[in-house]
Formats: sequence, C-alpha cells, structure tokens
Amino acid sequence: MNILLCCAAGMSTSLLVQKMEQAAREKGLEAKIWAVSADEVKQHIDQAQVLLLGPQVRYKLAEMKKVGEARGIPVDVISPVDYGSLNGKKVLEFALRLKQ
Amino acid sequence: MAGFISFLENRVMPVAGRIAEQKHLQAIRDGIILTMPLLIVGSLFLIIGFIPIPGYSEFMSGIFGDQWLTKLLYPVNATFDIMALIVSFGVAYRLAEKYKVDPLSAGAISVASFLLATPYKTMFTPEGATAAQEVGGVIPVALMGSQGLFVAMLLAVLSTEIYRKIIQKKIVITMPAGVPPAVSRSFVALIPASAVLLVVWLLRILLENTPFESIHNIVSDLLVGPLSSLGSSLIGAIVCVLLVHLLWAIGLHGAAIVGGIMSPIWLTLMDQNRAAFQANPNADLPNVITTQFFDLWIYAGGSGATLALVVIMLFRARSEQMKNISRLSIGPGLFNINEPVTFGMPIVMNPLLIIPFVLAPVVLVIVSYLAMSLGWVAKPSGVAVPWTTPVIISGYLATGGKISGSVLQLVNFVISLLIYYPFFRLWDKQKLAEEQSHAASDQVVNM
Repeated sequence: MNILLCCAAGMSTSLLVQKMEQAAREKGLEAKIWAVSADEVKQHIDQAQVLLLGPQVRYKLAEMKKVGEARGIPVDVISPVDYGSLNGKKVLEFALRLKQ
Repeated sequence: MAGFISFLENRVMPVAGRIAEQKHLQAIRDGIILTMPLLIVGSLFLIIGFIPIPGYSEFMSGIFGDQWLTKLLYPVNATFDIMALIVSFGVAYRLAEKYKVDPLSAGAISVASFLLATPYKTMFTPEGATAAQEVGGVIPVALMGSQGLFVAMLLAVLSTEIYRKIIQKKIVITMPAGVPPAVSRSFVALIPASAVLLVVWLLRILLENTPFESIHNIVSDLLVGPLSSLGSSLIGAIVCVLLVHLLWAIGLHGAAIVGGIMSPIWLTLMDQNRAAFQANPNADLPNVITTQFFDLWIYAGGSGATLALVVIMLFRARSEQMKNISRLSIGPGLFNINEPVTFGMPIVMNPLLIIPFVLAPVVLVIVSYLAMSLGWVAKPSGVAVPWTTPVIISGYLATGGKISGSVLQLVNFVISLLIYYPFFRLWDKQKLAEEQSHAASDQVVNM
C-alpha cells in the first residue's frame, strides 16, 4: 500500500505521515507513506496508489484529480478535523477505503 | 459572520482556486522556487562574511588576507546574481511541462531569448578615470540578477507560448524513417527556436529605436517600478496579509496563493536590500517589505502569528481538547508550521477565532513596518533565511546580525499574545462547558 500526501510545502503533511505510519504498524499493515509539496506530486505519483491532499490545498483537487485519474489513482482531500488533530488512524482508514 | 464565511467559501474560494491554477502564474511560481535553495546557500556565505563581532573583519584578513571578503562572496555572486538566468530556464521548463512539450528545449530557448534581449555592455570606470565608460563584449551581471527577473519571466512565458503553439500545430521538420529519434528531435526544435528568437530579436531592434532603448528598460520603467512601489508600501503589505488570512479563514493556504503572485516582487525588493547590505552592512537599506518581512516577523508560528496562541494554550488551557491541541502544536509551531492549530483548534471556519487570526497579523504588519521605517529596528538584509527557522534566531540572522530584529520578534509575540488572549479564553470556556455537559450526560446514560 503506497500512500502519497501533499500540501503546499509538504511540511505539515509530513507530521501526519508519522502518525499514519504508526497506525499502519499497529494494524500490521505494510505501507509506504510519504509527503511532498504540491509541485512535486507529478514526480512521485507513479509510485503511489492513493493521493491525499491537505485541506489547505483543496483548491488543487480538480488539477490533482486529472493527474490521478490518468493513472487510475484515487485522489481526495483529508477531512479538516482529522487533519488538525493529526489522526493518523482515521486518515489511514480513509486512504484504504478510497483504494477499494 | 456565518454569511461572511459562506461568502468567502462560495465567492472567494473559486477565484483563488482559479488564480492558483492559472498555468502561467503556476509556472512562474515553480520556476522561482528553483532559485530558493541557491539563495539560501548564498545567504550562508553572506552571513559568514558579515558576522557582527568587533574586530571580526580584521581577524579574518589577518588569516586569509585582505581579499578574504571578496573571495568569500564568490558563491553569492553565483547565486543571487544569476537569479534571473535560473528563473528564465525554470519558468520555461515548468510551463513546457504543463503543455507536455519538451521542457529542456523550451528552457534552453528561453535562456537564449533572455540573453538576446540583454545588451552585452556595461558601464565601467577604469582606474584613474573620473567618468564611467561603456564597455562592450560582456554579459552585464546586474541584469542577470533580480534586476532582470521580470524580463526573464516575461520572455520565458512568451518564448514557451510561441514554442508550444508551433509544436502543437505540428509545423515541424519531419525526418524520413530510419533517422535516429534524437537527431529528428534536434531538428524539431529548430523551427520553434528560430521563430522565438526572431520575435525577440525584432522586439529588441524595435525598442532600440525608442527612448527606452532596451527591453530591460521598458519593463523596469513600466512594470517593475510601479509594481515594486505598490509591493513595498504599507498599504500593499496590509492588503496582502488581509488576503492571506481571509483565505486561511476558509481553510485555504493563503500564503501559498498570494505568495505565488507576489513572490517576484518581494524577491526583487529583497535582492535590492541584499545588494545594499553587501556593499555596506550598516547602510540604511531601501526596503522594509521583503519575503522575509512576512515569513519571519509576521508569521511567527505560522500564518496568523499563532505561536503566541499556542503558548497561551499550553499554559492556560482548561479544556482537555485545547490541552491536547497545544501539545500537538508546540513542536511544529516553533518551526512555524501550524496546521494542527488552524484545523485542530480549529481557527478555520470558526467565527470567534478568525477575528484575532486576521487582526493580529495586520497589527503586526503596521507595528513592524513603522519600527523598521523609523529606523528603530534593522530592515531585513536580504539574507534568505528559510521560513521554518525559529523566531529570535531568524530575526537576528535575517537582519544580518542585528539584535533589534530579534527584539521586534519578541515585541510582536507579546502583541499577538494580547490579541489572542481574550478570544482564547472564550473558546476554551466554551469547550470546557461542552466537555462537562458531555461528562454529565455520560453519567446519566451509565446510570
């Protein structure tokens, strides 16, 4: 399971990455989770199975969806509540649901 | 307030989205990002060159000779001073990528057209002479740096537009089968490249017959002049900060959106200060407003100057929720990342907390601008300190080693603390009441 996260600079999403990795370990799930800035998404998306956007860059959803759909990769925005509370477990479950 | 939020969400957000999505603006922003690592490395050398310890300069020349500073600043000349050249390549590359045409060729053509627009001459005062003379056969360094930034951006966009239109119309040289693909690719680049260079060449010849004399002069007189006086003004700064925080109020990354448009101007202003600082570290620098002005003196702890808010929360929160948020936020907050606060507390879409979130930065802009323009606090020296540098340190470094930069950050911290405090208390009380009534109703259910 490869999950790519993106926000403006890839900084605040990298906080969430740590929490999601922890949640994945607790689930016994093999996952590669990493965060990049919105400009770098194109270089990374080929290794991803799901792309999640931080809510502060949700204005990029249309653009990112186009990039994702061309490769059959689901793209969505993380819920602001889970994002703010750095709820790695919930965001991980969200990513897994998207993938199905 | 609810009506205002829905106005932001329904009217402002689509516009902001469209601006942020606009291909050319995006390419300009991404192209400029290419220079940032170089500027930060150049800044390191600048800082080492001007460490403000009495006797430092004498000490260094004692060890490395009289020319130590000139030699130490070689990397500054190869980073700050070629900003426009890098942008010329970067913007064209990023734009070509968006059009799915060969970005490398587009970048090369853009650099060529930028140089084609630049007269190969400079003014030079020979030793012993009193007047400067025009010298030919040189690429003027001044125009390769921030002075040439807008020309580089504009020509990158123009040349890439011509390039991709010709490619997409398939006006290309088609080679017979059997010719290696690399060879035919190099021929493909020929027609668009000649069209681009022809246009820029004609433009230059045309302008040489006007009082402007060159593309650089017309752009600097008609575009950069007005834009930088607008961008360097207090009103301009207040408008930018208001926009940034109103966008954040609906949960959009305001700094990325507004900064995307303003960064060429702020970068130009920043480099003007850098050049003045490099010539004389104690000179009165030309601009208050630079990239660092916002990043380091206004956005302490992240947009909204939330470091003060997090500190209040850490010590004064009574509700469990706010205690949790403060523990999550303080670490990233010290490095000016505040999404746990904006989305977790939350400030986004929260009519109560949006008030101090917008108010504090506006007050800080006014206070900082006045303090710097009145000369109480050193202006940002053009040293490109990364925005993730913690306050106090960043204020010292960005002013080229002046304590007043750190003092202003402390003052700003206290101001934002006072502005946030009453709003925080109200919100915390509300959360505490919610938690208590939840606890009470849980007890009822358990019985």
